[in-house]
Amino acid sequence: MTAIARSDDTVSRRDAPANGLVKDSMILGGRAVREALRTPDSLLPTMFIPLFFLVVNVGQAARIFPSSDTPFLEGQSYGAFQLPASLLLSASFGAAALYLVEEIEGGYFDKLRAAPISRMALVLGRLYAEFLKTAVVATVMVGLALAFGIRIASGVAGFVVLLVLVSAWAMVFSGFMQLIALKSRSAAATQGASMVFFPLLFLTPNFVPRDQLTRPMEIAATINPVTYVMEACRSLILHGFDGAALGKGFAVVAVAMALMLTLSVRMVNGYD
Amino acid sequence: MSAITATGLQKTYGDGDKRVEAVRGVDLDVERGEIFGFLGPNGAGKSTTVRMLTTLMTITAGRALVGGIDVTADPHGARRKIGVALQEAGLDLRQTGREILTLQARLFGMNPATAKGRAAELLELVELDDAADRRVKGYSGGMKRRLDLASALVHEPDVLFLDEPTTGLDPASRITVWDEVRRINQLGTTVFLTTQYLEEADQLCNRLAIIDDGRIIREGTPSSLKRELRDRTGSDADPTLDDVFLDATGRTREKLAGEVKEVR
Ligand SMILES: Nc1ncnc2c1ncn2[C@@H]1O[C@H](COP(=O)(O)OP(=O)(O)OP(=O)(O)O)[C@@H](O)[C@H]1O
Ligand SMILES: [Mg+2]
Repeated sequence: MTAIARSDDTVSRRDAPANGLVKDSMILGGRAVREALRTPDSLLPTMFIPLFFLVVNVGQAARIFPSSDTPFLEGQSYGAFQLPASLLLSASFGAAALYLVEEIEGGYFDKLRAAPISRMALVLGRLYAEFLKTAVVATVMVGLALAFGIRIASGVAGFVVLLVLVSAWAMVFSGFMQLIALKSRSAAATQGASMVFFPLLFLTPNFVPRDQLTRPMEIAATINPVTYVMEACRSLILHGFDGAALGKGFAVVAVAMALMLTLSVRMVNGYD
Repeated sequence: MSAITATGLQKTYGDGDKRVEAVRGVDLDVERGEIFGFLGPNGAGKSTTVRMLTTLMTITAGRALVGGIDVTADPHGARRKIGVALQEAGLDLRQTGREILTLQARLFGMNPATAKGRAAELLELVELDDAADRRVKGYSGGMKRRLDLASALVHEPDVLFLDEPTTGLDPASRITVWDEVRRINQLGTTVFLTTQYLEEADQLCNRLAIIDDGRIIREGTPSSLKRELRDRTGSDADPTLDDVFLDATGRTREKLAGEVKEVR
């Protein structure tokens, strides 16, 4: 071994300024993306399971809801109505949390915690990657949907808004899963917890609009925040830009994101 | 100013039946430029102390300053002064050695070019240049330890914490790590290291403390501790650090041998 050389850029090393939240999150996010690319098999289910449900659900119910005399379809096929549910399903796998458990068990999380970076960056890094992953998967899914004749009523701009909404939802969902990972530090508990969150995706108007649900389901769906994210996505696909629906959808995501980040930072700060 | 000051440091895990008082009032004063050894049997509270001093764990009671900065009041400031390699090397198996070091350097604020250069320099330092672009998953235990040590050095910390840096290394690698610790120290870095190997402490450390059951029971230079034991027991033979350790922890030689085996 050779001794540590203290070269001319010693100053830029020892007294380099702090990066700040955004930069730290991006650096950690870049690593999480690399990790996802190196485990591509973990990405496949997030695409194929939702597509499977889309095909199966549409195959089973499309004849009940022909586009010609089903007003809520606004002239499109039933597949267009189902697409948001599939997109949200693909955004709700929370792979980030399982990687985090691995990182905690392997001790690398401690190494990151010992670095002078914002605690929120520790949480946001993986979520940033989750955003990108979901955006890519959703783009592929929407691309396939287009090939099968589904149209995005709000056009290209609406498609971008749709991607942002679904991907931001993925951050929120994965963030809550990360919270459980931080608390339990166990893969089994984290996976189990996803079973608790999962029903929220189905207590939604995912087969018919909310006003056509049975009364108990309608109440459940109205209370369930996921409903508003789904309705916002749906409005973009079937209708166009619906300010009220989008407002509610983004409000749900924003509030849930704020809550998730607050709880996560508190958890990381008190982490022993 | 001291490199490390701790007063009345305590850590209690859990509560009720599961309550463990791992550290019960530790005082430390490590001078700048020292290599300070922290010795103790399994479960004595060494790692817990290191984790508290490096901001990785909340402190139940007491106060700790590293590089003059209170680790509880300003953890962020303290982290910039601290380098740490924990007992279990914490590495991301899906990244390459080079990626880990570059990332670490970036997190300490270096720009991409400086970070890359620093990573290359450290890889050479710990003799991992050949394996630099392989995923860590395929590294041997010794390679992982060396990479972990390198990652603690990216920002040239003022105070370096090493929790059992040579456990599990072959004798040659152990001596290389000793040499490296000395060199790092000569360049001005204070080193706080825990160890199970008394010879290691004897060779490397200017001063050391022996902790048992969460309390410091001996403290001094290796020679002062040996002298104290010889004077107290009035023996003719020069005691070794082993003898000091056994005397301090009230253990028999046989018991200690059994425990050392159990560690590795
Ligand atoms: N997370 C934890 N929860 C509960 N108890 C713990 C935890 N970590 C350590 N302990 C307990 O605290 C005591 C001190 O442990 P510590 O790891 O600090 O010892 P150590 O001196 O580093 O031992 P070793 O030489 O085996 O590494 C032990 O009794 C241990 O069982
Ligand atoms: Mg230990």
